[in-house]
This record gives sequence, C-alpha cells and structure tokens, in this order.
Amino acid sequence: MPKIIQYRNKCIGCGICYELQPELWRMSKKDGKASLIKATEKKYIYSREVHTSEEIKSREIARACPVKIIQVL
Amino acid sequence: MPHLPELLSPVGSFSSLQAAINAGADAIYFGVEQLNMRTRSAHSFQIADIKEISKTCHKNGLKAYITLNTVMYDHDMQLLQSILKEVKKQKIDAVIASDYAVIEPCCRMKIPLHISTQANVSNIETVQFYSRFADVVVLARELTLKQVEHICTTIKRKKIKGVSGELMKVEVFVHGALCMAVSGKCYLSLHSQNASANRGACVQNCRHSYTVTDNESGEELKVENEYIMSAQDLCTINILDQLVKAGVSVFKIEGRSKGAEYVQVVTECYREAIISIGNNSYTSEKIAGWMERLSAVYNRGFWEGYYLGHKLGKWTKGPGSVAIEKKVYVGRGSKFYPRIGVGEFLIESGSIKPGDTLMVTGPKIGVLKEKINRLMVNGSEGTTAGKGDKITFPVLARVTETDKLYKILPREDA
Repeated sequence: MPKIIQYRNKCIGCGICYELQPELWRMSKKDGKASLIKATEKKYIYSREVHTSEEIKSREIARACPVKIIQVL
Repeated sequence: MPHLPELLSPVGSFSSLQAAINAGADAIYFGVEQLNMRTRSAHSFQIADIKEISKTCHKNGLKAYITLNTVMYDHDMQLLQSILKEVKKQKIDAVIASDYAVIEPCCRMKIPLHISTQANVSNIETVQFYSRFADVVVLARELTLKQVEHICTTIKRKKIKGVSGELMKVEVFVHGALCMAVSGKCYLSLHSQNASANRGACVQNCRHSYTVTDNESGEELKVENEYIMSAQDLCTINILDQLVKAGVSVFKIEGRSKGAEYVQVVTECYREAIISIGNNSYTSEKIAGWMERLSAVYNRGFWEGYYLGHKLGKWTKGPGSVAIEKKVYVGRGSKFYPRIGVGEFLIESGSIKPGDTLMVTGPKIGVLKEKINRLMVNGSEGTTAGKGDKITFPVLARVTETDKLYKILPREDA
C-alpha cells in the first residue's frame, strides 16, 4: 500500500491538498497548516498508508504542493 | 536639516538579528510561522521566538516589528490570533500588515500598526484612509521621488495623524531586491509551481532566463538579454540625501532570507550614510566607498529603482548574485576560551591557510570578519588546516557550536 509522508512544520497553509483531496486532508483551525487525516506523527513528520486507489491522486497532491513537503512512497 | 530617518533592517535568523544590532540599526523586522512573505526561506522563526527577539531588541535599544503581511485565509485566523496575543504580551513595537483580517484585530487589541508595501499605497488619499488604523505606511516601491515627496509634504500640510496622535510616518525601501511585478502582487510563481508569492512561497520565476520561440516555425527570437523579467536590485545610497529631504521617516532594507553578512554590511553602510547626511559630510568619495562595500555582499547589480523616474528596464545579466565576494562554508565553532578571548573552530570541509579572510556568523556574534595572518592549528602554528583540524583565533564574543565559519573568496566570474 502506498504511504503518504508530510513534513508538516514546513507547511505554508496554502490549502491545495485539501482542495484536491479532501478525503485525506483538512486545514487545521489551530495552526492553519494542512493535516493528514489519521496520520501518525514522529518528530513532526506525519505519515499514513492509503488504499492503492488513492495513489494517483496522492502523487498529484505531492506535485501540487508548493513547498514539496508531501511524499508518496 | 530635517529629522534623520529610522533605519529598519531585515532579520531572518538570530545571527542576522545580532548583525543588525552590531551594525547600528534603529529597528528590525521579522516574520514567524507561515504568515509572512518569506515562508520559503530556510530559516524561519516560530511563535516561541517572539519573546527572545523582543527581549534582545529592547535590551539593545532597537524596535522590533513583526510582518503579518501575506494574504490571509479563513483557516489562518486562529494562528493569527495566537501570534497577535504573543505580540501584545511580548510588547513587539508594531505589526506590519496589509490584510484587513490583521488590521482589524490590531486596532481592537491596540497594537501599533504599519501598513505593508503589499497594500500598495501610492497616493495621499490612501494614506489618509489608513491613518485611521496605523501610524506608518510603507509606500509602494514603484513611486518616484517626487511622488514620495508630495505624499510626505501633504501629510504635514494637512496634518494627517495616525492612531497614536502623531503625524503619519512614511517608510520606503532603500535597498534590496525588486520585483518585476507591483510590490509582490505577482502570480507567475502560482501559475508555474502552484506556489503563491502572496503566501511567501515565491519560486522566483522572474530570475530565470527565457527564450522566445515561434511555435509555427520553431525559430527562436533574438532577445538581447535572456533574463527578461529579472529586475536589478534597488540601491539608493547615492540618492539617500534626496530621500531624507523628501521627508521620509523610515528607511527599510529588504532581505530577510539573505545571510547575516548582508544584513551587517548593508546596515553599516546606510547607517554611515545617514550620519554623514546629518553632519553634512555626505560626499561622492564616501558614496563610492559604500558602493564598493555593498557590491561585496549578495546583489543582482544595482540601480536606483523607480525613484528617479527610470522606466522599468534595468535587468540582471545572470541568475543570482553578482557580489564580488563569495562565502564558502568551512566549519563550525567548537570551544571558547573566555579568559584569553579565543575561539576554537572545527574544520569540516575545505582548507584554510595563513592570509585567508574568515567570517564567523552566529546568534551571539552576528558577523565577524577577520584576516588570519597567523594560523594556529591543533594548538601550534601551522601553514594549512584541513578537515578534522581545529583552529583557534581571537574572537570578541563567545563562540558556540551554532556558529558557522566561512572562508571569503573573490568570485572568479565577477
């Protein structure tokens, strides 16, 4: 299963991930950054596995992120 | 001679902060988190840093202004509130803003406000409008000297007062990068990489070289300069007296994402220039000296911006800086001997020999540049130091492990 990784502390809160893939992302009201839903955190790096059907869309998000802090493995 | 303007320096790291203090800035500006125009920058302050910045500035008699001048979205409101609460608590001297979502709470919380250049203030009516909320307006960078002067004199004539009850102050940019677009209102970066310049994420498409091709024939049009959108940097040190005479209250230097040595040199030069204007010793020889020093740090070549009514047409001839010096990282601080005032540095790459000019940057030191005549390697005098060696030389401030050591070299292609 593909895994999404987000280096969250570098997020600039532009909201493009949430715009394109609201199933996986939301904008945190607390700090204005994007949050990966149901992700686990380790040293400010957030990650989670997603269903294969989400892979193409997730790669599109990774490309769309202006500060390139999202990776799909 | 009119009242001399305040010198406002950019700060993107604690090293730059110390450099600005050492170089004689009257005030500094900085940004935190993602709500400032340099969010892409490698160094970035957090909310937790506001306390230390405020403490350090006020201890040294400087004012500290925070930039909250990006486009704001609804999901930013809580973060904005948290930042403003901390700004109020730590007594930051003013907020620099353009979005009404920032202007309104600042007024409510009685936080002094400066209107950012992002608001593109270009006429006296707009100054009058913002006087209900702010004390300082940063004018659009596209105005001419005459337009700036007209705004300054009209403020005095009409007695346009800001929130504090004092006359509105006018701030202008005197040095640093210029945009090909109207003061940051550019969508090139958003179009090409989805990275909005108005959220501080500009990827600087305008600094690239371009060719123009006829799609039908595939023929390339001859363009004199491939860097068709890259404006040269603003430098007003040769017309600074005219800006003082125009009645400008604050001189702002651009460059929060540039290094501490840039902040140091540029602040020093403009500080000296302001003093010279004050005591009538502003001469062309001095200007030539400042120009030479300014050329040594990051720059894309200089022109006087739009102040003298030049058309937009001073383009760079290459990517990045044309500074006549460059810095090469060689190592970091490892120890400090306070009694004898000597710092020890661990060399991590490259080599050093006697006669080299070294530069140390760090949060406590700021910037220190020194030519090494005698090289002490691992405790005894040596002729060269390489990776793994420890070198020592006298340093005025305490050396820590966060201090970086650079070698200064002339640029081969400069």
